[in-house]
Amino acid sequence: MSGTRDRLRGLAPFALAACLWCAASVVDAARGQSPSARTEELLYYPSGLWVRQAALGYETAAADLGWLRCIQYYGEHRMTDNRFDRIGHVTEVVSELDPLFLQPYVFGGFVLGQEMGRPVEGLALLRRGLERNPESWELAFETGFLYFVCFRDHAAAARYFALAGRLPGHPEYVDRFAAFAFQRAGEREMAILLWKRVLATGNKYMQDVARREIRRLGGDTA
Amino acid sequence: MRPVLAIARNTIREALRERVALIAVVFGLAMVLASQVLAPLALGEGKKIVTDFGLAGSSLLATLLAITLGTSLLYKEVERRTIYSVMAKPVRRTEFLVGKFLGLWSTGAALLVVTTLMVLAVLTVAYRDTPWVLAGSLALTLVEIGIVTSFVVFYSSFTTPGLAAFFTLTSIVAGHFAEDLLYFGTHGGTSAFGAATTVAYWVLPHLSVFNARGLVVHGVPVPPERLLFAAAYGLLYMGALLAAASAIFERREFR
Repeated sequence: MSGTRDRLRGLAPFALAACLWCAASVVDAARGQSPSARTEELLYYPSGLWVRQAALGYETAAADLGWLRCIQYYGEHRMTDNRFDRIGHVTEVVSELDPLFLQPYVFGGFVLGQEMGRPVEGLALLRRGLERNPESWELAFETGFLYFVCFRDHAAAARYFALAGRLPGHPEYVDRFAAFAFQRAGEREMAILLWKRVLATGNKYMQDVARREIRRLGGDTA
Repeated sequence: MRPVLAIARNTIREALRERVALIAVVFGLAMVLASQVLAPLALGEGKKIVTDFGLAGSSLLATLLAITLGTSLLYKEVERRTIYSVMAKPVRRTEFLVGKFLGLWSTGAALLVVTTLMVLAVLTVAYRDTPWVLAGSLALTLVEIGIVTSFVVFYSSFTTPGLAAFFTLTSIVAGHFAEDLLYFGTHGGTSAFGAATTVAYWVLPHLSVFNARGLVVHGVPVPPERLLFAAAYGLLYMGALLAAASAIFERREFR
């Protein structure tokens, strides 16, 4: 009798695990069938300020969870309806939690501007990022990129590329983009100056291109 | 000083008997797992995620360890009546409390250091980068754990383990809302409410002083003046709490 009881006791954890697995499967299936599931997704996401308070000092870890959720959301909709209505809100929450985290601004700005046709909102997100990270050449460059491809505003794009080129840590191609943008915008002198900055870099091939472009613009490579 | 150190050593030994080292092993495995599973999902932000979760996890574990271990250890001494044999020796109650505090703080600090080293090791192996700036955050968290431990000792000096854990957690949460409390109290409330919230603001621990995780994860070092200020503030706060705990413990009667 006690042997049977012991055997039953030994099986109890497996029975419990099986019950939990069944329950999880039922919940998962029900979630997929709910007609409101799609419209309700991420609606529960509270404001960034609220989450910041609730995170109790672990804001950056909370921001990472938000970032993973953001990528998951984008991936799901990319494979289905190509609608990313909540992406602005989620990236805003993540950036509120971790203002120095650059990817939410860059990614949010890109999706809003390029894929959703809402470049004004994308620009607003990138500008907020620049206000919080005035030393980030990435954000300045992405803002210039958005002006260039979404607004076709070459002058504004050139201004932001040039700003990125003045910020610490920027790669050499930023200067080249700035120079090209200024040429399109007709600001020849500025383009020559930027190409001259490329001359100061250690890349031989880039220096060759810079010399060629400066000569083409009628400048002096000395 | 000798009795204090003897009690501290004994407290560490007791903590080790509770298999604290096991927590560090589980943490290390979780870190390696997280770096392999989460990082590829993060679109190039794997290193940040591993660092964030690593620092948050090590801080959270050390805090929970201080609370669970601290609240039960002092209570056990009284329940098992082992405190009588300690008190029969030339040991003052204050020394007993300070020894307990130092032992608990050392245990929490050791766990924090080991888990942070694990984070550094995972980052070095997985991302070929050893961000030494994490040391600034570690130093601040060590002081924060000291404050949590002093709260545990303070509440344990007069109440049961369950209530001591509850009060400590409440103090930590309130410490994160200190500034909001002051804001609400001084904007629109009555003058008495404003005065009460101002007092609460000064009494509650300002735990945001010890949180530099948002800086170091982006490679920004913690300024030395902030470290000095945090150390001075933390030591003062711990001293005040231990003094209060000692005053209560001196008057306590053991049956």
